[in-house]
Amino acid sequence: MNPEDLKYHKEHTWVKLKKKKAVIGITDYAQDALGDIVYIDLPEVDIFVEANTEIAEIESTKATSAIISPVSGTIAEINEKLIDNPEIINEDPYGKGWIAVIDMQDASELDDLIDFDDYEAYLEEEAK
Amino acid sequence: MNLTIIGSGPGGYVAALKAAQLGAKVNVIESDEVGGTCLNWGCIPTKAILASTVALRKAKSLEDFGIDLLGSVSPNLSKIMERKERIVSTQVKGIRSLFKSRSVNLIEGKAVLLSPHKIEVRRKDGSAEIIDSDKIIIATGSKPAQLPLMPFDGEKILSSTDALKLNTIPKSLLIIGGGVIGCEFAFIFSALGTDITLLEIMPRAISTEDHEISEILQKELKKKKIKLLTGIKIEKVDIKHDGVHVYLHNGKEVIGEKLLVSVGRAFNTSGIGLEASGVRKGQRGEITVNERMETNVPDIYAIGDVVGGPLLAHKASEDGMVAAYNACGIEKKIDYSVVPTAIFTTPEIGSVGLRQHQAEERAIAVKIGRFQFRALGKAHAIGQIEGMFKIIADAKTDKILGVHIIGANASDLMHEGALAMKTGLTTRDVAGMIHAHPTLSEGFREAAMDVHGKAIHAVV
Repeated sequence: MNPEDLKYHKEHTWVKLKKKKAVIGITDYAQDALGDIVYIDLPEVDIFVEANTEIAEIESTKATSAIISPVSGTIAEINEKLIDNPEIINEDPYGKGWIAVIDMQDASELDDLIDFDDYEAYLEEEAK
Repeated sequence: MNLTIIGSGPGGYVAALKAAQLGAKVNVIESDEVGGTCLNWGCIPTKAILASTVALRKAKSLEDFGIDLLGSVSPNLSKIMERKERIVSTQVKGIRSLFKSRSVNLIEGKAVLLSPHKIEVRRKDGSAEIIDSDKIIIATGSKPAQLPLMPFDGEKILSSTDALKLNTIPKSLLIIGGGVIGCEFAFIFSALGTDITLLEIMPRAISTEDHEISEILQKELKKKKIKLLTGIKIEKVDIKHDGVHVYLHNGKEVIGEKLLVSVGRAFNTSGIGLEASGVRKGQRGEITVNERMETNVPDIYAIGDVVGGPLLAHKASEDGMVAAYNACGIEKKIDYSVVPTAIFTTPEIGSVGLRQHQAEERAIAVKIGRFQFRALGKAHAIGQIEGMFKIIADAKTDKILGVHIIGANASDLMHEGALAMKTGLTTRDVAGMIHAHPTLSEGFREAAMDVHGKAIHAVV
């Protein structure tokens, strides 16, 4: 996936729209800041998740952090490969390291998200 | 003065040694094995087996430590059990020799109170004797509680005692009760390769602990692929040719080769002559005692599991010390203000004092400090980075009210908190003390600093 085609949430998650469903993951910045990821506590399929709330928890060798869902909806699919190989997120955060697919409740929530350039600018601003 | 103690578990045997130290002439009557549940079917054998599974887990992760394994590792349950038996029998001998060295008279047989100062002992060979005793301490303990839907058969439906005698590793195991015992066995058998499903009536595993600690534990269960179903009620249990079928309130069904029931423990109060002696029981069937461990009958004391409260070996031992003092004429009151708990899950839990949800329920204003094991160099060096230190302090006085630790060596680490509580220390006292580096104990100091948002090794 090309990072420039994705939508971003300021809590460092990305969204890719795929047949009206939202594929989500964490950004390259997030995986780099976390360091080596050793575990991800994935949500269960069929549960409902609210935008801006915790959808999963990631443990790295440095920290444990909540992953914030960029959109609301029902979990349609989770990336089960991450259960035994969470390091995939470090290796390919925008591709094989996707976290879940959400059946969106309200597609207009995508308008609240920012595009690649704005996210990059946001990171620069935060770094100051 | 002569004193007779019924039961030689961690309550009874400690009471015996203490009373002997104080100059009493002591008899101990034991109907089963010296050392009671703790030593024979509880704390010690489970920790012995756990140590084997810890070694196994470590062997399976040798690569992580830069060691090539040329060959394979696999558990040999009969050897694991032999090792356990050896450890238990060494400890049993240890208690017997302590008794001997302090001239405590051990009588092996079943004790029945005939009156407040008379006990009949029925030996295994059928003979009986009557002992006259100035004072008596009842320390008969507890046994695994049964559920009417699933009585123990020792074959398919197991108590914790039965589980310690298994000679083959079950392919799958259902565990009813996700408390301390259920979770400890879940990690043990999971390490041996058993597929585990834990069924718990409460909304969370080990619901008696701080909820944040319980959540971290639940994540660790998940990492080990131990299934946990919470808020579960059981409708029916069927033993069929393919295993034990458990039917749940939600229409679902789970199947396991065996079923372990760990839903609590029942007081050992029947058949010991409580009626004849006039000793009264409370609403839950426990023997009621005052803070000097005296029952309603003069000269009869009761201690340990049989008086209720937390069913912990070290609590029973403390009860025993207090009863021994009072029986020997030295006034002493029990102090339960600081009773630590050690839980041997993977990772361990060590806790003492107030939980966060209790502070909320009781409207106590508190400040909370946390520190992650993974922020400690030592945790990385030993390859055990999971876990957290949590300190709950009084918002006004800064005194430590509760300490909750989940992580490597938590059962030992927790005692710094227990001592701090017992001596009324504040988090600033702990934060002001140099802790050796590199140790896991540094995490306790950091958590104390974090109560005021001042942890050093925390990203803000």
